[in-house]
Amino acid sequence: MKELSIAERLGMVIYRNQGKSEAKAHIEVDTDICNSTCPHLCTTYVCPANCYTIDENGEVHFQFEDCIECGTCMYACDQDAVTWKYPDPEEGRGINWNFG
Amino acid sequence: MEDEKFDCIIVGGGIAGLSAALTFAQNNMKFLLIERGEYSGAKNVSGGVLWGTQLAELVPNYWEEDDIGFERYIKHRRLSFLDHDTSFSIDFKSEHFEEPPYKGIIVLRSKFDNWFAGKVQEAIEKSDFADESFLATDILVEEVLKDNGKVVGIRAGEEKFFSDCVIIAEGVNNLLTRQVGLQSDYVPADYVATGIKEIIRMDRDVLENRFQLDGLSGMSNEFIGLGATMGVEGGGFLYTNRDSLSIGLVVGLKDLREKGGNNELSKAAKKRREDNKKPLKAQDKSKNIYDILSEFKKHPAVKDMIKGGETVEYSAHVVSTGDMRVMPKEIYADGVMIAGEAANLLMNSGKAIQGMDFAMQSGVLAAQAAVEAKKKKDFSAVTLQKYRTALEESFVMKDMRQFQSAVHFLHTPAMFSTIPNLVCDFGRQFFTIDNTPTEKTSKMLKNSIKKYSSYSELIKIGIKGARSL
Repeated sequence: MKELSIAERLGMVIYRNQGKSEAKAHIEVDTDICNSTCPHLCTTYVCPANCYTIDENGEVHFQFEDCIECGTCMYACDQDAVTWKYPDPEEGRGINWNFG
Repeated sequence: MEDEKFDCIIVGGGIAGLSAALTFAQNNMKFLLIERGEYSGAKNVSGGVLWGTQLAELVPNYWEEDDIGFERYIKHRRLSFLDHDTSFSIDFKSEHFEEPPYKGIIVLRSKFDNWFAGKVQEAIEKSDFADESFLATDILVEEVLKDNGKVVGIRAGEEKFFSDCVIIAEGVNNLLTRQVGLQSDYVPADYVATGIKEIIRMDRDVLENRFQLDGLSGMSNEFIGLGATMGVEGGGFLYTNRDSLSIGLVVGLKDLREKGGNNELSKAAKKRREDNKKPLKAQDKSKNIYDILSEFKKHPAVKDMIKGGETVEYSAHVVSTGDMRVMPKEIYADGVMIAGEAANLLMNSGKAIQGMDFAMQSGVLAAQAAVEAKKKKDFSAVTLQKYRTALEESFVMKDMRQFQSAVHFLHTPAMFSTIPNLVCDFGRQFFTIDNTPTEKTSKMLKNSIKKYSSYSELIKIGIKGARSL
């Protein structure tokens, strides 16, 4: 089988409220903590949906749109930078699994 | 329905919540179940095998229906030790698994939970509260309401619903359990893992021939070793669905945080932080969770199993490990009970990953405690404590307590690197015939032990392993 990139994998995910231009974020990340005192930046390699990325300048960025609601970052971040909630069914993002 | 007070409100329409709901419907309780997904199963992810025979008690003869909720029943089990290029398996297939009620069924949650919800709806329609009990979907419960310390209902958006008790069956990411004070606000990564999975579609004939399946018989294959998780705590799984495979990994989160690393870009982050008082210790090696899954799929033994298939879904979810240290302080309080994985009722003992059967049992027991509380007209902690007692007397807590040391043992490096390496190395020697004088088997074993471990280490592992079983 051909190796799949993370973009190809996420391309199969059915996200909710895709028609809405702006969805309400269900996770808030204080990236100031990531970019100043966090010793490991673990969210950038434990998040299965690659929502936490590092740019060329070495700064961490977060986006919730690709989140697949797994919860990993809520436990992995031990620096108190992640505030995690479930997405709002009407206004939020989040997923609908076909198989699960 | 807003003005009505329910006997019970169930938060979460997964297996625990639906099992509680079915028990209520069968006992003429007036209840409201609230599921945040568009339908039951829309938000659920599991490996997954539902072990045990309890489903047959809740839905008699479930296997005889035209519209069956499961994929296949387990007839063939395999545990494979993987190193970088070798697989050495323990393989068990038996007619003993052939007779219903099956001892384990392979399920896809989006289908199974939806099917199960249908059964609950049928039961509601036969109950005294056919028009007053509800399965409500697409609603997010944001708050559990309390009055004088006792749980009295829930809030979803602007709407409030009231009941004599609430069963929280919200799953492992148990925000409401934390909110009512039964679980700490921050649960550390120590005793949880992340499951990551792909559904690979395959022609049904190809799949049945490849895995030697007959009718609806199925296979479960678990994997441990470097070839599965690249040295990170955890293991892999492969289950046969009707016309697809569920393949994935369960990776210990704390260990991944320590052993994983980002790509080239973390060097930039490191450089950026050089002058900082808090330097970055991030490792330069590239090892993130989805790349580990890609490597697992490339292992020679795994590659051949998934050949020709097409990935149709990629998913992930946090999962409890079975370590009881992560469990809520208590699973009941005045007017509230916690069921299923919201109470971290899940266990990987090495024998099987059990979670859905624990969810089913705990959902039923919580509901039974509520039925009894209604009879007594007392939903205080004193009465609901019955739930705890019943759960302790059931296989759920008995097994979790019994296998705690097995759970700890499974999370030692010996189990996900040393032992699989040693087993595979021995296998390579033992099964190789190459026209040179063959060493005695005991010498081969000695070679492998020297290469990957030592007798003293093995004795220690052996003692620990023997104690844990």
